[in-house]
Amino acid sequence: MAHAVSPAGSVARAREQSSGKEPASDTGVPWYLWCGVLSSTLIEIGGIWDYSWHRSIGRDTFWTPAHMAIQSGGLIAAGICAYLLILTTFGGSETAKAAAVQVFGLRAPLGAFLAAWGGLTMVTSVPFDNWWHAAYGLDVKIVSPPHALLIFGVHCVAFGILLLILSSLHRAVEAGSPAVKTMERLYLYAGGVIVMSQMFLIIQYLGNGSLHLSRPYRVMGAVVPVIFALLSQAHPSKWAATAAASIYTAYYIAAILILPLFPAQPKLGPVFYPVTHMVPSNFPMLLIAPAIVLDLLYRRMRDEKPWILALVTGVVFTGVLVAFEWPFADFLMSRWAENRFFGTMYYDFSAHPSDLAHVFASPPDTGLQLAAGLVKAAAISSISALAGIYSGRWMRGVRR
Amino acid sequence: MKPRRSCLLVLFVVLAASLSAHAHVGSKDVFEETSAGPYKLFVTIRPPVVIPGVASVDVRVSGAPVDQVQVTPLALTGVGSEHGPAPDTMKRSSIDPKFYTGSIWMMEAGSMQVRFNVSGADGKYTAAVPVAAQALTTLKMQRAFGAGLGVCGIILILGLGGIAAAAVREGKLPPGAMPAPALRRRGLVAGALTISFALLLVWGGDKWWNVEAASFATTVYKPLSVSAFLTGDNLEMLVGTHQSDHLGQSRSNDDFILDHGKVMHLYMVREPQLDVIYHLHPDFISAGDFRLKLPQMPPGEYKLYGDVVHANGFPETLVTTINVPPGMQGTPPQVDEAMGTPAPLSAGELGASYKLPDGYTMVWDKPATLTADTAYAFHFELLDPSGKPPAHMRTYLGMAGHAAFLKTDGTVFAHVHPSGSAAMAAVMLANNEGSTMAGSASQGMSGMAGMSMPVADTDLSSNAVEFPYGFPSPGRYRIFVQMKHDNTVETGTFDAIVK
Repeated sequence: MAHAVSPAGSVARAREQSSGKEPASDTGVPWYLWCGVLSSTLIEIGGIWDYSWHRSIGRDTFWTPAHMAIQSGGLIAAGICAYLLILTTFGGSETAKAAAVQVFGLRAPLGAFLAAWGGLTMVTSVPFDNWWHAAYGLDVKIVSPPHALLIFGVHCVAFGILLLILSSLHRAVEAGSPAVKTMERLYLYAGGVIVMSQMFLIIQYLGNGSLHLSRPYRVMGAVVPVIFALLSQAHPSKWAATAAASIYTAYYIAAILILPLFPAQPKLGPVFYPVTHMVPSNFPMLLIAPAIVLDLLYRRMRDEKPWILALVTGVVFTGVLVAFEWPFADFLMSRWAENRFFGTMYYDFSAHPSDLAHVFASPPDTGLQLAAGLVKAAAISSISALAGIYSGRWMRGVRR
Repeated sequence: MKPRRSCLLVLFVVLAASLSAHAHVGSKDVFEETSAGPYKLFVTIRPPVVIPGVASVDVRVSGAPVDQVQVTPLALTGVGSEHGPAPDTMKRSSIDPKFYTGSIWMMEAGSMQVRFNVSGADGKYTAAVPVAAQALTTLKMQRAFGAGLGVCGIILILGLGGIAAAAVREGKLPPGAMPAPALRRRGLVAGALTISFALLLVWGGDKWWNVEAASFATTVYKPLSVSAFLTGDNLEMLVGTHQSDHLGQSRSNDDFILDHGKVMHLYMVREPQLDVIYHLHPDFISAGDFRLKLPQMPPGEYKLYGDVVHANGFPETLVTTINVPPGMQGTPPQVDEAMGTPAPLSAGELGASYKLPDGYTMVWDKPATLTADTAYAFHFELLDPSGKPPAHMRTYLGMAGHAAFLKTDGTVFAHVHPSGSAAMAAVMLANNEGSTMAGSASQGMSGMAGMSMPVADTDLSSNAVEFPYGFPSPGRYRIFVQMKHDNTVETGTFDAIVK
């Protein structure tokens, strides 16, 4: 790429080499990266917790613990961004300035700008959401225009944190820093948090009873391959997709194990099911299966032409996911899954007696209808993967 | 993009200019006096105008000392009525220990109830007040709010463009490197493309918003359609049905239950002077078909307010008009029909004492000032020609009195009883008193050969009656109050200027 190196840049690098580089913790990882992943983790945990809150208690306020987790995550992200923006724009650190980009006269790392933008979007969504409640009623849908704005903001915070880590990681690699390994782990963790965020977005389409329809696979195909491909492309890592899928799986299983430990009482009616403890979300989708296969595939095909790689990714993702999730759904419908680990015996308070029977949505997709649905899912997955491949390849070179 | 959405976002909300209503017209709030064992409760429930929404609940207690009041919303009938959520404890006022406040989330539209658990020295008792929960309006955005959030939107879109431009221009440069002109140009293009894409998203969001708004609009309450036809003195009212995909919002025209002995309580008021009023009771002939032989009445344009209650306790006021031609030969009025002929509105405001045609007088203990959205217990007395309480006061349709509150611009109508503004049939369902409904409560009118059921009027010891009610908006109202002595139903009329 064409560029010119300024004298200031040379000075900055010289100082960097002589004075210990960026603000760093003992491991050499900048402290704000730790805070960044903490921030996006809190937001995602808050989301899972809030979902459980609505299934168990129903009624909420601005001050519920779940909301507090989301808001504290947002505050931490805001703190990091404000610190980096002020330090870089107005501070005297040439090192920080040299590793920043400029937006409307302000300087900060690219990820900080994106995260700050996401934070502002989240803040903007609050009065919009309040108006929405007043105009059309309290939340009956997860996905509404103001919630979409909020979720988009949350995603931008998460992607901002990912970019912040990635640019630091790339610089650390070039500098031969001992913090590279830790940063790589942070990068994969941040990617996993984004997968959680994507899966939360579509949670209402993923009921166990719908897993013998093609729709859940189309919806997952839209939001997951983009992240798997992006993570694999942006930084060389043997198990990028697997690691991200594992993070998602671990958090959702942890929610099943932990949330029911806490008592809860429905505050909304009608209460068709006697909830006494927090109700977790369903067992996570088996994303880990296609993730492993894709990671093995990417070792050979990482630099393949984008459209070929996208096509392969789409077909493999859909095929492997269906191959594992379809029979697994049968298991989830059996009494063998009614235990503390798989958690299919947890129902929200509004579950009608007819909802308690473990039955698939009727009629299930079969024959040509199913085939057409899954082909569509593979096509959607491929488009999603293509977006991830292009984004990831661009992100390979991010330094700021 | 529509002007109201041109800025995507907004800051304040205003109610639509007028609200339609279910039980009554334009008068959604419930004012009810009820008892929970030895505890007396004056309840005010202000349902939300959108569902799901939050209703506020106020309770003033009297009678035996009360320690705690708990409140629970739940369905009035059906399986939902047996599965209420955990009750909330209402907050006792620190200034007035007999006044409690609380709020409840009403998650479903339809026939609901608010159940009160009252505990005190005399033990624990419950009472329930029915509430018709419906979305009543779509709120509009205020221009200033839209402008404020629109500015936020513009800043966000420009910011996103700036970030994209910076990402392409400098994102991949080594630290300290300056972007070459070619990179700067590419950055500008990236910024412009991002802004274009963001605008496309806003456009898509607006389309989505329209779909959501249209979906919500289908849930806004619309009363059953009704048409009235007059042939000679035969009045026929044809009532339609309302089908909805939304849970609990379909309404039939053949599931009406008796409300203090009548399928429909029909108020006919001559417009525009409100100078003739009739309280009549059409018969239910078949699904959606009500008929009545009208008494002889002065000619003119009449507005009809027909109060009915569905089997699930959901009340409705069906509104239509008819023109009564001059010289209509009427049928002699039935024993439980009542009428009044007050002075027209244009003659000026009526006072607190109303002279009745037979020399009796009805007196309103009128508050010095009347304000909208305030709960009152309006007190009326009937005096004989000598100014004393009548010797033989009797109930009228089983109650000490009936009152109809009409706003003179036609936007408010409420038929209120001494127990309050909730329909009596719904009150009885809520308090498990359906057995007194002549067997109709659970099955509606389908299959019932009869129409109205006779209600035995009994002697009363008092010549006074109170009606819990609150005016929903400022303006001029006319109040028609009916009380009975001997075999005569008196209709007193009063005017109120509400601030």
